Amino acid sequence: MADPRDNDKRPDPDALLALSDREGRGDARRGRLKIFLGAAPGVGKTFAMLQAAVRLQDEGQDVVIGLVETHGRAETEALIGGLEVLPRRKMTYRGVDLEEFDIDAALARRPGLLVVDELAHTNAPDSRHPKRWQDVKELLGAGIDVWTALNIQHLESLADVVSNITGISVRETVPDTILRTASDVVLVDITPDELIARLNAGKVYLPETARRATDNFFTTRNLTALRELALRQTADRVDDQMTEFLRQKAIEGPWGASERLLACIGPDKASELLVRKTSRLANSLNASWIAVHVAQPDRDSPDADRRSAEILKLAETLGAETVRLTSSDFTTDLLRFVRKENVTQILIGRSRAGALGHLFGRSLSDQLVRKARDIGVHVVPAVEEDAARPKLWRAPPRTGLGRDAFAALVSTAGAVLVGMVASHFLKLPNLSMVFLVAVLGCAASLGTRAAVFAALLSFVAYNFFFIEPIYNLSIAKPHELFALLIFLFVAVLTGSLTGRVRDQAQTALNRTLATQALFEFSGKLSAASTSEAVLWATVTQVHAILGGKAILLMPSDQELAALAAWPPDTLVDPAELTAARWALDKAEVAGWQTATLPAVRYRFQPLSTPRRVVAVLGYEPLDKTHPLTPDAELSLNAIAEQAAVAIDRVQLVDDAVKAAAFQENENVRDALLSSLSHDLRTPLASIIGAASTLRQVHDLPADQRQDLLLTIDQEAGRLSRFVGNLLDMSRIESGAVKVKRDWVDVADAIRSAVERLLTSQPGRATRVSIAPTLSFIRGDQELLMQIVYNLLDNAHKYGGEGEVSIHARDEGKDVVISVTDEGPGIKPADLERVFEKFYRAGGADRRKPGTGLGLSICRGLVAAMGGTIKAESPAQRRRGTRIVVRLPAAELPPDMRGQA
Amino acid sequence: MTGLRVLVIDDEPQIQSLLRIALGSAGYEVLPATTGRDAIRLAASAAPDAIILDLGLPDLDGKEVLRDIRAFSKVPIIVLSARDRESEKVAALDLGADDYMEKPFGMGELLARLRTAARHAARAAGMVTRVEIGDLVIDLDKRLVLRAGVQVRLTPKEYDLLAILARNAGRVVTHRQILTAVWGPAHHDDTQYLRVFIGQLRSKIEPDPNQPTLIRTEPGAGYRFAETDT
Repeated sequence: MADPRDNDKRPDPDALLALSDREGRGDARRGRLKIFLGAAPGVGKTFAMLQAAVRLQDEGQDVVIGLVETHGRAETEALIGGLEVLPRRKMTYRGVDLEEFDIDAALARRPGLLVVDELAHTNAPDSRHPKRWQDVKELLGAGIDVWTALNIQHLESLADVVSNITGISVRETVPDTILRTASDVVLVDITPDELIARLNAGKVYLPETARRATDNFFTTRNLTALRELALRQTADRVDDQMTEFLRQKAIEGPWGASERLLACIGPDKASELLVRKTSRLANSLNASWIAVHVAQPDRDSPDADRRSAEILKLAETLGAETVRLTSSDFTTDLLRFVRKENVTQILIGRSRAGALGHLFGRSLSDQLVRKARDIGVHVVPAVEEDAARPKLWRAPPRTGLGRDAFAALVSTAGAVLVGMVASHFLKLPNLSMVFLVAVLGCAASLGTRAAVFAALLSFVAYNFFFIEPIYNLSIAKPHELFALLIFLFVAVLTGSLTGRVRDQAQTALNRTLATQALFEFSGKLSAASTSEAVLWATVTQVHAILGGKAILLMPSDQELAALAAWPPDTLVDPAELTAARWALDKAEVAGWQTATLPAVRYRFQPLSTPRRVVAVLGYEPLDKTHPLTPDAELSLNAIAEQAAVAIDRVQLVDDAVKAAAFQENENVRDALLSSLSHDLRTPLASIIGAASTLRQVHDLPADQRQDLLLTIDQEAGRLSRFVGNLLDMSRIESGAVKVKRDWVDVADAIRSAVERLLTSQPGRATRVSIAPTLSFIRGDQELLMQIVYNLLDNAHKYGGEGEVSIHARDEGKDVVISVTDEGPGIKPADLERVFEKFYRAGGADRRKPGTGLGLSICRGLVAAMGGTIKAESPAQRRRGTRIVVRLPAAELPPDMRGQA
Repeated sequence: MTGLRVLVIDDEPQIQSLLRIALGSAGYEVLPATTGRDAIRLAASAAPDAIILDLGLPDLDGKEVLRDIRAFSKVPIIVLSARDRESEKVAALDLGADDYMEKPFGMGELLARLRTAARHAARAAGMVTRVEIGDLVIDLDKRLVLRAGVQVRLTPKEYDLLAILARNAGRVVTHRQILTAVWGPAHHDDTQYLRVFIGQLRSKIEPDPNQPTLIRTEPGAGYRFAETDT
């Protein structure tokens, strides 16, 4: 197989990319990682690291100690003495005081180089990341160079090898990718004898727990083995670097074998082992490797899917590329993928075989070996798991097994009954058909497993009840035996085929339903015009598809606020909020079952668009003991994607509306300013002018003095009304107007208004006609009076010299108040605009004095009382304006009705 | 010259000087006070015949001053305030203010209210037993109402309502005061009774129920019975 890269002399882009990743030459500069690798505790990694750090500082570099345990050793402390040390984060967990590396302090300090010891350390609970290597990863991501120390035993891929060699299980592991992405690896090496001598001299610090294991661990045999592992690891790296250097410079081969391995994993026990084995083999061959899970939609249960996902995750931490394939023809599709990816060797577990396959002695591995031709296939035997290792894999809960068995039993019993009855009446040549019907019935209704059960049961029952000698499992005639075996074969085959068809139909149906649900969801989203509607649609959708709890958080004023949740009483606590914040800031999944704050209840998924992260979706599944199934994860991602786009869209619209509203506000402010300057200054000018004239001119005739005094009086009244209107308007706008829900005698309110108008502006008489049996309304008598007053004032102002009349009557379930003037009227186009703030009839030059607020105040107050207001023009004979207010009439309570 | 002494409580010099001139020219003697504490001291020591009180004072809230003065004196108090909120108005009246005027105010109106308040105070010394206005006579001893010499038939509640208004003729009686006195403390918020009964009362005693002159509505606050002839 010719790789096109072999013929191309340009540098390999993959290699350059990896380089830029490691060297920090990407767009956002990543920090460089240097690992001081040792074979065992006590080899002097920390000391070597600090010595190097001090040297660097002497060269003028910015070096800071993030965290180093000196264990009271004087020479180590002396080295630290000259360096800046970050304060540790102190916390109390279950009454125990703990000190931890403070990642936030480190990020805030942003040193040129940060030294953090013990890469494999497990952080205290409640830390941001469960492991220190995750802290380091974040620091590197933030562009900070990090030096750290690691013992070879903590490397994930070597963990079980080390356990095997030393007999001590390794709990704290670091993914191989960390070592691989390190820019430099320094091997700190001393001979095993030297180390044992140091140990005996008390120069090696070991925690109390480890001390007990010391005797078993620090043997020359163990240390030699570990040292070899460490040396080999470092050597492999050097080899890698050489190869990569050649690729970067486009130097033609020989590049070595360039092996590429593929581990074909499934949900079974052997797969975890297979993954570890492949990883080791890949390392020793210096080869890259891929872990592939081939999902077979008609076979895999959700449990199996979940286990495969766990194993793929493990493979990823061991440095594999991971791929999920979906296929109904396992071997063909796998091999197609294998050739595409230039895989040279396949590793597969022996137990990867279907039930039918076993029956015919054709396991998948056998098929693969037969068809693979030029590609090496390693069949790895399934080995019982080491009991000491923590189990990744759990026995699948056998849901539906009992149900299937029961169904098989019932249908077989039914077949026996039918057979008995039928054979009683007529002699049937072959009753096996009846049993076949039972088998197919099970297959069609419950699937393959039930069908196989039914076939086996039928086999026995048929023999027992119907084959001579009956009620006995022995068979008299050889041809009967042959017929029976044929029956079994036919029953199992047809049953499993029918079952398969049924299972496939079920899977297809499920997928269709999920797709349908998503389709409906996107319909709902595109119909939603407010972000609230989008948020609610999203949380209810998550709840409907996946069960559990869903909550949506959005940033507002620097804070993350929960804006929608289903069930609606769902809440987040501060720790969960931190996880959500992380998801928002880093655009990464955080919380439950992730690398960041996994202790919280929710999994927080950022809803991101190419422009930004718009919100965070928190999801708490019903069953928190298992990770999400791939299907669930897919659904969640699809929902998140659609919701993100929808929220973004709605927010864009909102922004546009806000911008328009802002513009509107600007206009209103301009109008207010011009109104203020005109309407405040005019009366003030008159008052000041008149008052100063009165003070300065002493011999004014009495009538002129009276004129000036009248001017002052009138203009001050005008000013007072203007200020009153402004105050009213600002109260309405700020929501400070409290509307009472009182019984209001409309007639009384109208009379009060008429009277008040007459007192404040004498000569403005109004014709009043009120229906004698006018209903009460519920509302605020004082506000109603103010409405009527403003309407009358307005009518007099714009109605010219004509008569102003007010009329009130019941009309259906409303009380209708209309105020009519005989003025020039309003143009149809302006009928709505008269209620806008600062609108005034007539051009700017022939405006009547006034604020342009009267009618808009009326509209605000009427609305507050649940009524409507509109203007009609012409009112009569092509002249005049009528303002009509409708307010809902109130029925008197029963105890009052007789009285009124 | 009436010679009556008016305590003017207001911290604004302009209002003080305006009232000093206006009230002085109407024959009143003006005692100025610019803080709440001064006002209470003067109300107790100088025995004013009437008080004009601003609610916004530098040291105390005017309502506290009102409450304190009411604790020892029945002197008529007219509140004169820029606070035009209905709730302020009602609170002041419920605390025992005799009247309430909003700033800006007309001087003629203030003088009229002041006269009414002073007269009412003089009259309150002896118990009112008979109220006459126009052709309407209310005999509070005999619980009898006559209009042009003919008895007006009132229900007991209507009569009680008319009586409390007539006893306080010229002054605002708040909704709460009326409801508590006529229907009992449990009904102090049931304004629907008031609206209905005032309507009925007007139709029985007003010369023109559509232009009521005897029982005037004080928007948002209560009702005021017309100033009587006696």
